[in-house]
Order: sequence, then structure tokens, then C-alpha cells
Amino acid sequence: MAFRDDLRRTRAIVWKDLTTERRSKAGFNSVASLGVTILVLFGFALGPDAQMLRDAAAGALWLAVLFAGVLAFNRSYQVELDGGALEALLLYPGSRWAIFAGKLIANLIFVTLMLVIVVAVGIVLFQVRIPAQWPALLGIMMLGVVGIVSLGTFYAAMSSRSRAREVLLPLLLYPMLIPVLLAAMEATKAFLGGDLLNASGAWVQMLALFDVIFLVATFLAFEYVIEV
Amino acid sequence: MSIAPNNSFDPPRPAPAALGWLAFLFFIFTQVYAVVTSPADAMMGHLQKMMYVHVPAAEVTFAAFGVVLLASLHFLWKEDERADLLAASAAEVGSLFCGLTLVLGMLWGRPTWGVWWSWDARLTSTLVLFLIFVGYLSLRSFVEDPHRRGQWSAAVGILGAINVPIVFMSVKWWRTLHQLPSNPRSLSPEYLRGLLLNLAAFTLLAAWFIWRRYEAARYERSAEHASQAAALGGYDG
Amino acid sequence: MDNAVTNGGIGYVVASYVITWVVLGAMLARVVGAARRARAEYEQAVKGEFRT
Repeated sequence: MAFRDDLRRTRAIVWKDLTTERRSKAGFNSVASLGVTILVLFGFALGPDAQMLRDAAAGALWLAVLFAGVLAFNRSYQVELDGGALEALLLYPGSRWAIFAGKLIANLIFVTLMLVIVVAVGIVLFQVRIPAQWPALLGIMMLGVVGIVSLGTFYAAMSSRSRAREVLLPLLLYPMLIPVLLAAMEATKAFLGGDLLNASGAWVQMLALFDVIFLVATFLAFEYVIEV
Repeated sequence: MSIAPNNSFDPPRPAPAALGWLAFLFFIFTQVYAVVTSPADAMMGHLQKMMYVHVPAAEVTFAAFGVVLLASLHFLWKEDERADLLAASAAEVGSLFCGLTLVLGMLWGRPTWGVWWSWDARLTSTLVLFLIFVGYLSLRSFVEDPHRRGQWSAAVGILGAINVPIVFMSVKWWRTLHQLPSNPRSLSPEYLRGLLLNLAAFTLLAAWFIWRRYEAARYERSAEHASQAAALGGYDG
Repeated sequence: MDNAVTNGGIGYVVASYVITWVVLGAMLARVVGAARRARAEYEQAVKGEFRT
């Protein structure tokens, strides 16, 4: 019974976060544009040689998604904080993990949509040759996004409520994301490069493992940081 | 405000000065002993002597972070503010030793491999640990409320500790796949005694640093409470 | 025998010991200073009580 109530809470939060996002269309559009802009800057940093760009595409892509996505994480708590709604939300009975799940899912949807746009642009800008088994690439990307979003949503619960939120979130988040980013970048790189050593398989397994570890850890730790 | 009785308001037991002297003198002794008695290595020449500062510094770094982890867990479990102060002290001392380890690692790498930085798993993990320490201490500096600061630091510390071995593993795999050597460092037995002595000396010294830093934090907290009590009228002892 | 190692090596060893001792010495001074100051502050605060 309690679990079903929690699921309902989660769904309500996802819906609320997404609709407030949709009404402020500026939110998604700006973040997606930022992702593309960052990609362009990477193009300037690494190009114009085609082979160089193709080699660097995986790395540039994930970093563009990270830097742009980070903006979404602080903002996902902003709505409650501005209206003082967070205290109200915490007063309602129910597990804290439901709040975390709601925010997590909303951010997942947001970042995934952004990723699609950034990848599309990246393929063009970085002259990436799409391999035959491209659906598998979608799987790799989803795993990477889950890792980034779970840690990002968790740390934003703290940074969004502190004085130096712009610097604190990246400062705390980026070192924590190194394993996820490394695995995602290497899996993507190996896959785009033709996966000669079947290296991407190992990285995908690692990425999945990291996702599980960090999902469990953040779910457990969330109640300690949101209550206070 | 924390609901549990706050015994961090009581003044701390002061660290005995004798311990400090012992740690200091023992440190000087082991450093001189190791440098003087170790013969020049066949391959590395006198570079080998760097091991007596680099390895202990690294060990202390990770031991200090271990203290941060355990103290953070204890804080979340028992809500004892003293555990939070201990974690913070260990983090401060640990981050200094971490920076030292990185510099010494670079000073080792340059003559050995020709580069200041080689992205090898150990050094890279130490660098990431340093970033985690910095994040931890920055977070604490931005949060005023002691209860919130304790809860948030504990969560960040614990997650950070989980991350370090994961980073190490990832970087190692990363290098293996790109067919880079792992730079093993072997140790012949005649150097072992000097190394163990220095490990003990560094650990003792670091433990004393952490104790003194913790003492200072406790006195500050007690002073704060005493002034608050005075302001509210009446000292309840 | 690697010449680069034995020739330039000593400088690096000396540098690492000097840096270590300086850093540890500075840490020592800072930590002891902080502890003494905090204790003095505490004793002041407590004394402040008894006078009022």
C-alpha cells in the first residue's frame, strides 16, 4: 500500500517537473542550444582535420552533454525552492526516495532529449561514420545518461540549496562522474571505431555496474541530504 | 538543531604534548636512518630514497580518508557531532598529505619516466581523491548550519570514498586497453625496514595532527556554545 | 645504467625531502597554533560566564 503511494508521488513529481519545464520552453531550448554550442567549440579546439575529429567525437559528445546537462540539475530543484514548496513536500508523509525517483526520472527524460539533439549535431560536425549496429549505441548512451543523471540529481539536492550553487555542483559532481564518463566515452569510442577488440562490451558492462552502484548509493543517501 | 544530546559542547580531552614530541622525534630519526642506511639501488640509484617520503605520504592520505569515511558513517548512524568534527579534521590533514603525495609522485616520475605526469592509475586516483577532498572542504565552507553541514559532508565523504577504488579500477582498465605499461614498483627486502619505520612515523605524526586539529575544532564548538549560553543568560555548565 | 637517472636524480631526491619537511613543519605550526588559539578562546568564553 505504502509502496503504491510512493509510486504515485514519484509520478506526480515527474509530471510536475516536466510540465513546468514545458511551459518555460526557454528551459529546454536553451540547454539544448548550449549543448550544441559546446560541441561547436570542441570542434574548433580539435579540428579541422577529419580523422582527428572522428577520434575525438565520443569524448566531445559526452562532455557537451555533461556541461549542458549540469544546468538542468540545479534548476530541477529551483522551482520548489523559489516557492518554498520543498518544505511542504517534505511535510507530506511518504518516503524520501519517491522524491528522488521523481526528480531523477524527470531529469532523465530531459537529458535524454538533449542528448538526441546533441548526438545528431555531433554526427554531422564531427563527420562520424555511423556503424551498422547503431541501435546498440542508443543502449550505451542510455547507460551513460543514467549514471550522469543519478549523481547529478543527488548532488544538486545539496548545491541548489547552498550559497555557491554554480560552482559547488560541478566541483562535487565531476570527480564523482569520472568512472561513468570514462566508461561511456570509451564504449562509444570503441563502438564508433568499429570495435575491433570488442572493447566496448567490457566498458558497457562496467558502465552498467557503475550505474547500479551509484543508483543504490544515491537512493540510500538522499534522505540524509534532503531532510536537513 | 540536532535532537540527540550534543556532547560536542563539552571541552575535549587535550592531546598530550609528549605524544607530539615523540611523533616528531621518531619522524626525524626514521627519516635520517632510512636515508643514511639504504644502499643505492642498481637500477634507480639514489632515486630509491624518495620512496621513504612518497609511499608513507600516500599511505597517510588514504588512511586519513579512511578516517573520514568511518567518522562520516558514525555521524549518520549516531548523530554525534564530534564524529563530524573528526571527519573534518581528518579531511584537512588528509588533503595536505594528498597534495604532498602528488608533488612527490611528480618528482619521482620526471627522472624515472621522463614526464611530470603519466596518467598512471595510482597517481591519477590520488589526483581524483584530492579533488574529492577539495570538494568536501569547499562544501563545508559554504554551509553554516552545523547539522546540515554534518549530514551533507557525511554523504559527500561516504560517496567519495566509494568512488576512489572505482576510479582506480577504471583508469587501470583504461590504460590496459590502450596498451600502456602499468609501471610496477618492486621492493627488495633490504629497503623494507626503512620503509616500515617511515610508514609508522608518518602515521603517528599524521594521527597527532588530526588529534590536535580535532581538539581545536572541539574547543571552537565549546566556545561557541559557551558564548551562546551566556547570551541567552546563565551558564548551565 | 641509466645516466639520466643517476645524474639528475639527486636533485629530485633532495627536492622531495626538502618539500616534505617544509610542508610537515608548516602543518605542525598551523595545527599547534590553531589548537592553542581555540583553547584560549574557549577559556575566555567560559571566564566570561563566571564574571556575569
